Amino acid sequence: MADADPLSFLPLPQAQFHVLVALTEGERHGYAIMQAVEASSDGIVRMGPATLYGTLKRLVDNGLAAESAHRPVAGDDERRRYYRLTGLGRHVCAAEADRLAGLVRITRKNLRPGLA
Amino acid sequence: MPTTDAAYRALIRLYPRRFRDRYSDDLVQNFTDLVDDRGVRAAWARTAVDLAVTVPRYRLEAIMTERHSATVLSVAITLLAAAGLLSVPIGFYPGIVLLPVAAGLAVAQRSTLARAIRTPDSNRRRRRLTIAGVLATSCVVATTIFVLDVRGEEHWGGKVVVYNLIFFVTLIGAIAYLTVGLLTPKADQHLASPLP
Repeated sequence: MADADPLSFLPLPQAQFHVLVALTEGERHGYAIMQAVEASSDGIVRMGPATLYGTLKRLVDNGLAAESAHRPVAGDDERRRYYRLTGLGRHVCAAEADRLAGLVRITRKNLRPGLA
Repeated sequence: MPTTDAAYRALIRLYPRRFRDRYSDDLVQNFTDLVDDRGVRAAWARTAVDLAVTVPRYRLEAIMTERHSATVLSVAITLLAAAGLLSVPIGFYPGIVLLPVAAGLAVAQRSTLARAIRTPDSNRRRRRLTIAGVLATSCVVATTIFVLDVRGEEHWGGKVVVYNLIFFVTLIGAIAYLTVGLLTPKADQHLASPLP
């Protein structure tokens, strides 16, 4: 999995990309990821518990995220599981961001030529 | 609050066993956080939609991705098709309806939705060749049953139409899947189309 081509994961499903973006800020537990996704999307993307953990399961199974043994918040509930980006997840997230940026450039160029 | 948690914990049982074995405590913890943060009504509003969307999706995913479940479904489809075929020689003609049911299940098993949620390790080539094998076997079985059924009869009546239909549909299907299967690369290649 470590030598997988990041481009082979593209296009990334929206929920997976949002979770990866949330994890770029550091290790987080499930509810913190949910809050981060909501904040980063201005409240447009609101995940339910099973959507979140289904997405995390895919990311972990594909080697893009991993459970973290390290607990960034001292005294936190020990039952909480924290997740972190893997090296592959970081590359995939960057590649998806580049892909979307290209799409945005094309859209702006075609719809608002003056702003491109 | 414990009642709310208990209700959600009961609903988690709707998810496939593997998913809830791995995440049930996290789901409840997440739901509790949601209730504490947003209130019971808002938490349930979000979670109800989540349940409605994810329960059927994860159930279907479990059927499509777990090797054992996929095998059970394939066996069930084959048995239904066989029962449909056998219903003709024993004179129970309404049983022929099992054939389109089996065909419908087979199509559902291979549908775009099922493929979309399949994990990337699926082996399309093996699947297609397996389907070709099942269809070829059905074709041979149908022909054998037809020969045994009409042996000694002078007038075959409508049976020949039914058997011909089954024979040609299964034969064409087998050839099509065999061709596509042989043309499919041995390992799945993920499609990537990054923008410049």
